[in-house]
Amino acid sequence: MATLLGKRKRQVKDSTPTERINDGESSSSSEIDAQEVFRRHFEAQFKPLPVVQKIVEAEESNDEDSETESEWSGISEVEEKSIEVIEHTDAESRMAAMSKEELKIFMSSKPPKSTPSVSVIRDKSGATVDDEDGSESANLKKDLALQRLLAESHLLESASNPTTMGKNRHKATDLRLQALGSKGSIFKQEKMPIAHRKGIISKQNEKESTRRREAKENGIILERAKMKEKRSSEGRKDRGVGNPNVGKFSGGTLKLSKKDINDIEGPRRDSGGGRGGRGGGRGRVKRGR
Amino acid sequence: MSTPNIEFLRFTTHKAFTHRLVLSTLTGRPVHISQIRSSSPTNPGLAPHEISFLRLLDSITNGSSFQISYTGTTLTYIPGLITGNVGGASDVVKCVLPETNRRGISWFLLPLCVLAPFSKAPVNVRFEGEGVITSATDTGDISVDTMRTAILPLYEQFGILGAKMELRVLQRSCAGPGGKGGGGVVELRFGAQVRLPKTLHMNRSPGRVKRIRGVAYSTGVSASNNARMIHAARGVLNALVADIHVAAQYDQAPLVSSGDKSNPSGKKRTGVGFGLSLIAESSAAGVIYSADVAAPSEGGVTPEDLGKKAAWQLLECIQQGGCITRIGCGTVLMLMAMGSEDVGRLRLGRDVVGTEDVITLGRDLKKFGGSSWGMRDCEDDETGDIIVSVKGIGVGNVGRKIA
Repeated sequence: MATLLGKRKRQVKDSTPTERINDGESSSSSEIDAQEVFRRHFEAQFKPLPVVQKIVEAEESNDEDSETESEWSGISEVEEKSIEVIEHTDAESRMAAMSKEELKIFMSSKPPKSTPSVSVIRDKSGATVDDEDGSESANLKKDLALQRLLAESHLLESASNPTTMGKNRHKATDLRLQALGSKGSIFKQEKMPIAHRKGIISKQNEKESTRRREAKENGIILERAKMKEKRSSEGRKDRGVGNPNVGKFSGGTLKLSKKDINDIEGPRRDSGGGRGGRGGGRGRVKRGR
Repeated sequence: MSTPNIEFLRFTTHKAFTHRLVLSTLTGRPVHISQIRSSSPTNPGLAPHEISFLRLLDSITNGSSFQISYTGTTLTYIPGLITGNVGGASDVVKCVLPETNRRGISWFLLPLCVLAPFSKAPVNVRFEGEGVITSATDTGDISVDTMRTAILPLYEQFGILGAKMELRVLQRSCAGPGGKGGGGVVELRFGAQVRLPKTLHMNRSPGRVKRIRGVAYSTGVSASNNARMIHAARGVLNALVADIHVAAQYDQAPLVSSGDKSNPSGKKRTGVGFGLSLIAESSAAGVIYSADVAAPSEGGVTPEDLGKKAAWQLLECIQQGGCITRIGCGTVLMLMAMGSEDVGRLRLGRDVVGTEDVITLGRDLKKFGGSSWGMRDCEDDETGDIIVSVKGIGVGNVGRKIA
């Protein structure tokens, strides 16, 4: 309704109907011109517009030449010439947005630090990358990273996979686990055919012995050979409380194998009075008497 | 109760009311304040917020006593020890503000925070009731956001750790109809008690503003007001500083009882409005300028106008110069005067020193036994700032004398 009112006012104020129609014609022609310019520009940049649409538009503009509609274009024409609208859509109109961390710190109930940390740089994945940050925690983080680099950089030397991803990642995890005190490597295969395992062990031994032999021949001093742990001693420790320390107790009798007896008696010596090899500390079974 | 020959320090009028009571509590000197609004025919005597402040003082001190005359125009106050909430049933002291309160919550928080470092136990106070206005007010109080972002960081330079300070806004509220009452809930947790605050040396150049932060809050009105305020403020400030970030905070209006006798459980919404709090941080450590604007309770302002006003106010504050602004200098000067017996220096803008508040504070400090301030012009540059030297009287924390 408001537009209608405006129209009437204009009719009264403005001019005779003929002038008005002239106005309307000129405006529509200029409008077409403008559209033509736009069309050409568009076609120059993109593909040509379909012709059908243009005809329809032209017909519509012809229809608009009727009295009632022409007033409209007359008004719009005047407006177009008199009012210049410039819109600024630059950084100013962008909403203020703090980073999430900053917003959280700023809006928390604690007073914000008067000297907040340097602005955070982000990498592609969105994780923060801290640069020159002299705080204690940052230093600790860098320290840890350096230690890991030193401990794990040899993984990167392999030609097949020079990255930290894939197999190397698992290897690095294994190293870290072992550093933390896990019993064995996660890559150690637990079950395999005995022949297979024997083969592996013998191969290892062979390698080691050739290395040592060659070193000796070349006069290179190697580290001391690692003593082999005794499996048997481990087995003995596992006896329950109150059970005998030697032999096998079954059916009310303690059965001693030859080995047990040998252990108790110890190696034969000519000088008497020496104590047996086994049972030195325990002294359950006394020899000879 | 009191011995007859107590020497009262005598003051008149309600001006600098909280400052005087705080100084009295810290120095242990009893005060006698007379002629409180005695010339007002309609509202003589102490105002509701002043009574609330007395109640608050009573609840965080031990052994203080007040005597208010029949008309309320005369008050005698004998201070006790600042205990905080020691051995209370709950860990917060509740301070209920009446509906007739016209002052923002920062009017209570500013003096309370000056007292809190000298307390024996942590000072945890929860302001609630129908008179808590968290926004800035027409009476010149700052908003709770400015309090947190511009005033509390000042304490850090006195060796009072900011990590143990918290100002929780549990419910926001602007001033209610007629500028009276709100409905907010604010909790101050001040656990950073010190034996003796260090003095301060801020006599260097205040540096240049490097970043502007702020909070736009809308309570019970459309959240788009926030965006409009921020947009307008940035329109002014963007040309001057690149690093501007203003957070937007929208909340529902608080529910308070409708005060309808026939329907006692009836509730109504109150404290509707919006406002903008801006702070400008300088490249020098600890220099923070702030501005605070809120829509008046009767409304009739556009968010755009308000945003522009806030930006201009911030610029004006920066123009005044100095290292501490007008709203912060009361706190800083008092802490310096109460702190260790060193001479601290503070660079203040000429317009800041020239305010009535600062001059009154200086005179009051002298009356309470502090030494007078030394003032000289700053000769480093052409700003015309004034360097104020304040010697501490080493009051410190009585509750922590044996430590």
